[in-house]
Amino acid sequence: MSEQEYYVPHGTYWPIIGSIGVSTLFVGFANQMHGAEWGGSVMALGFAIMVFMMFGWFGQVVNESTNGIYNKQVDRSFRWGMSWFIFSEVMFFAAFFGALFYARQLSVPWLGGADNNLFTPDLWNAFSASWHQMAFISPGTELQSGTVMSFPAVPATGIETATPAMVVDPWGLPALNTALLLASGVTLTFAHHALRAGHRDQIVGWLVATIALGVAFLGFQIMEYGHAYHDGLKLTSGIYGSTFYMLTGFHGFHVTVGVIMLTVILYRVQKGHFNADNHFGFEGVAWYWHFVDVVWLGLFVFVYWL
Amino acid sequence: MTQVVIVLIIIAILVALGFGLIGMVKGGKEGSDKMFKSLVTRVSLSVFLFLLVLFAGYMGWIKPNAVMIDAPVTQAPTVQTPVQK
Repeated sequence: MSEQEYYVPHGTYWPIIGSIGVSTLFVGFANQMHGAEWGGSVMALGFAIMVFMMFGWFGQVVNESTNGIYNKQVDRSFRWGMSWFIFSEVMFFAAFFGALFYARQLSVPWLGGADNNLFTPDLWNAFSASWHQMAFISPGTELQSGTVMSFPAVPATGIETATPAMVVDPWGLPALNTALLLASGVTLTFAHHALRAGHRDQIVGWLVATIALGVAFLGFQIMEYGHAYHDGLKLTSGIYGSTFYMLTGFHGFHVTVGVIMLTVILYRVQKGHFNADNHFGFEGVAWYWHFVDVVWLGLFVFVYWL
Repeated sequence: MTQVVIVLIIIAILVALGFGLIGMVKGGKEGSDKMFKSLVTRVSLSVFLFLLVLFAGYMGWIKPNAVMIDAPVTQAPTVQTPVQK
């Protein structure tokens, strides 16, 4: 096949199967939300169809690649496809980081009476703006964590202010998780180097380490959620709870997807699908993992520190 | 000052990641080399930034956004207006 000619793979049925799968998934999900008994099972069916489609379609593409059917034009189209996917991911996280900055720097201070515009101090005169959840708790109230609140009422306003407990301590699990994810970026770079140098046995070791670090990150993140949820930080805990769980939750989902992708790459490395000069599958997944790592670094810095 | 340095390093990390993406899209030996070098830069900068943030926090140059929340067993927002006498 010439370099210019575009290989049209096969009369494919996978897109329609994917469409049926995703439609079934969302019909099930929407009805589950409305309390339909059959919602959950339809959702599971849709998910199963999606998994079937992914295995089938991606497997077919991998087979075509290893059979040497693809030329440089197809390689280019894969690279551009990946770059557009990455663009959508960057926009996705930019929106959530934007929401975090907007709420923290602008809308919450406005509600508290900052700036001389629509939101005058009289609009919500009992509201004192502060980032994180506002809690007005009477003295003597027993908290879920077992502590009993004791603090004086503020005489000037008569509003009792809470002395809340620290839920998310940046020195604890968040710092540990950052270290784990950064270490996974380092091990993945070693795997990448080993692949480029043609040391297959080393690639496997470093990839396994990367996957293990990713799984450890997810485990600690679940612990962190349990801890925060138990102490009263929920998705419904005002704008802070919403943005916190949206950002960290979607990030966790991306780490999960990344772990699955790395596992597939590990399998493909063992099958000998890649060589030092031709390993786009590895490159795409490696870049994705680095991106997810950088998103977490941004979260660690902006949510927990700055 | 520390905050500015931290934000600048984050921007540098994003730039390195962006160059890595350009290398990946380009492909071939040249693109692959460019991608790998950019990702090594991004990993090195990230590790440096993490250590800097921890050190700055330890030294007290930056204060953590510690999340101060606790929820009462019985939710009762009490707003008491002082009685005028």
